Amino acid sequence: MKNSKILGAVMAEVLLLLVCLMIRPDFFSISYQPSTGMLYGNIIDILNRSSEITIIAMGMTLIIALGGTDLSVGALVAVAGAVALKLLRWDVLEYNTPGDYTVCNFFWVLVLPLVVCTLMGMFNGFLVAKGGMQPIIATLILMVCGRGVAQILTDGKQFTTGYAPFKVIGQGAFLWLPVPIIITVVVVAFMAWFTRKTAFGTFVEAVGINRSASRLSGINAAMIIFIAFAITGLLSGISGLIYSSRIMSNDSNNAGLNYEMDAILAVVIGGTSMTGGKFSLAGTVIGSILIRTIVTLVYYFGIVSEATMAFKALIIAVVIVLQSEPVRKYFAKRKGAAKS
Amino acid sequence: MSRIIRKLSNPMYIMIYATVGIFLAIYGAGAWAYGDRGFLTLRTFVNMFIDNAYYGISAVGMTMVLITGGIDLSVGAVASLTGMFIAYGTTILHIHPAVCIAFSLVVGVGLGLLMGWVIEYLNVPPFITTLTGMFLARGVCSLISRESINIQHSMIDSLAGWKIYFMHQVNGNWVKVKPIAFVNFNVILFLVMIVIGTFILQRTRFGRNIYAIGGNEQSARLMGLPVARTKILVYGFNGLCSVLAGLSYALYVKSGWNLSLQGAELDVITCAVIGGTLLTGGVGSMIGTLFGVLLKSIIPALITFNGHLLSWWGKIATGVLLLLFICIQGIVVSWSGRKRSA
Repeated sequence: MKNSKILGAVMAEVLLLLVCLMIRPDFFSISYQPSTGMLYGNIIDILNRSSEITIIAMGMTLIIALGGTDLSVGALVAVAGAVALKLLRWDVLEYNTPGDYTVCNFFWVLVLPLVVCTLMGMFNGFLVAKGGMQPIIATLILMVCGRGVAQILTDGKQFTTGYAPFKVIGQGAFLWLPVPIIITVVVVAFMAWFTRKTAFGTFVEAVGINRSASRLSGINAAMIIFIAFAITGLLSGISGLIYSSRIMSNDSNNAGLNYEMDAILAVVIGGTSMTGGKFSLAGTVIGSILIRTIVTLVYYFGIVSEATMAFKALIIAVVIVLQSEPVRKYFAKRKGAAKS
Repeated sequence: MSRIIRKLSNPMYIMIYATVGIFLAIYGAGAWAYGDRGFLTLRTFVNMFIDNAYYGISAVGMTMVLITGGIDLSVGAVASLTGMFIAYGTTILHIHPAVCIAFSLVVGVGLGLLMGWVIEYLNVPPFITTLTGMFLARGVCSLISRESINIQHSMIDSLAGWKIYFMHQVNGNWVKVKPIAFVNFNVILFLVMIVIGTFILQRTRFGRNIYAIGGNEQSARLMGLPVARTKILVYGFNGLCSVLAGLSYALYVKSGWNLSLQGAELDVITCAVIGGTLLTGGVGSMIGTLFGVLLKSIIPALITFNGHLLSWWGKIATGVLLLLFICIQGIVVSWSGRKRSA
C-alpha cells in the first residue's frame, strides 16, 4: 500500500517509454562520442534535461511534505544565473583578453550564487517559520521580486561568457555521462541520506502531519521549516548554475520560467500529498523524469514545443485522478469485493 | 455611536482601510513629487483603470475563489485562450466575433466548472487542479497558433474604439477636459464586474455561503450549506471572469498571442491580497480588490513619471508592498484573535 502511489507514476513512465519505442525502434540505443567523451542517447538526454527540475524538486518534496509550497524557485534560478554571469562578465570588461575571464577566483563564481540563493531561501523560511505566513504567499514575494533583483544585478542586460570551466557544469562530461546527471545523482544521494539516515526526514513528516503535536513532542518545528526552505534555496541555486552554464549566459526573464510549477507537479506525481505528511524522494525523481519523457514524446509527434503543455496536462490529469482519494478507495473496494 | 465604531473596527474593514490608506499615501507622494508634471490630472488617474482593467476583471473572480480558501492558477491561460479564439476565429476563420466570444464563454466557464468538480469530488488540491488547467489552456492556445494574430473586425474595432470623454462646462459650452481623459468599454466592464461581485458577496445567499466555506468548510457542511454546489459555481464564475478579462485584453491589444498574459494569475492574486483578501479564506471584499488593483497599477505609473528608474524596480516595489500587507494582515488577524479570546 505504501508504494501504490509511486506505482502509478512508474507504470505511466513505462507506458510512455513503450510508446516511444513503438515510434522509434532505436529509442533506447546509446552511442559513444569520442570527441566529447560523452554517451549520447534518448535516455541520457531525458535524464540530462530533467536534472534541473529533479534537483529543485528534491527540496520541494520536503516543503510539500511540510504542507507548503515554494513558488520562488524559478526566480532563484534566474538570480543564480545573474550573479554568476555578473562575476564572469566583470572580468571580460576589465581585461578584455580571452582566457583571462575571471578577476575573482572561479571558486567564488560558483559559491556566491549559491550563497545568495541560500540566503533568499532562508528569507522564505524565516517568513514562514517565524512570521507564521502561508508558504504560498511568503514565497510569492520573492517570486515577484526575484526576477526584478536579477534584472537590477545585471542592469537588465544579457551577458554571455565563454569561460571553459564554467561550461563544464552544464555541458561537460564526467565518467562518460553529462555533468548535470552526475550533479543530480550526488544531490539525490545526499538528500536520501539526509532524510532517511538522519532524523530530519522523520521530523519533516511529523511537522507536516501535525505541526502543533510535533512541537509539543519536542521537535523544533520552526527550525525544520527554516532548514527545508534554506535547502530548497540552495538547490535552486545549483539548478540555476546548470541552466546558465547550458546557455552560457544569463536570462533573467526566461531562466527557470515555470520551474516552480514543474517541480511541484513532479513531487505530486511522485505520490507526495499536497496536504503534507509522508514524502517519497524516489517518487519525485520518477515524477520529474516522467514530465521530461512526456516532452520528448511530444517532440516525436512533431508538435511545437509550447503545445507540449497540453499533453503534459492530459497525462498529469490522468495520473492525478488515478491517485485521488475517491478513485483509490473505489478500486480498493472493488479489490476487496473480488476477494470475498 | 459605539456600535458604529465597533462595526467599523471589524478586522475585515481594517484591511480595506490599510489598502485605501496606503493607496492615498502613495498617490499623495506621487502628487507631491510629480504634481507639476501632470500626475494629478484626471487623465493619469483614469489611465490606471484603462491599463489594468483586465487584471481587475479577473481579480473579481479570483477574490471569490480566494475567499472560499481555494486558488485558481488558470486565469491567465484562459484569458490568453479567449484572446486566441477571438483572433483566430475572426481573422483566419472569418467567424463573427460574437460567436467567438460565446464559444470562449462556454469553454472558459466549462473548464472552471470542471476544475471545481475535480476539486470538490476528487479531493485534488485546488493548486494542482488549476495548474493542470493552466497547462491545458496554454497548450491548446499554442496548438491553435504560435504567432501573434491581429484582430480585424469592425465590431471589435468599434468596441475597442468606444469612448466616453470627460466633459466640463466652459462659458456654457460642454468641452472635453484637457488633457483629454476618457473611459472605454474595458473600464465600464471592470466597474460593472466590481458592482456585480459586491452584490453577489454582500447581498445573496450564494455570497454568504462563499464566506461560510472560507471561514470553516467543515462547519459549513455540517450546517447543511450547499458546499459542493457553491464551490463548483465559484470556479465557474471565475472562468467567466477570466474569459471577460481575456476579451478586455484582446480589446486592449487587438491581437491574440499564445504567450500573452504569462504569469498574470500571480499578478491577479497579488492584487487580491494587497486588497485585503486572506489566502486562508473567509476574509475579503470587492472594494478592497478594487483598491488592490489601483495600488498595483500606481507603481508603474510612478516609475513612468520618474523616467530614470528601470521598470524592474516595479517588480521589487510590488514585492515589498506584498510583504507589507501580509505583515499588516498577520498583525490584524492575531489582534482580532486575541480580542475574541479575551
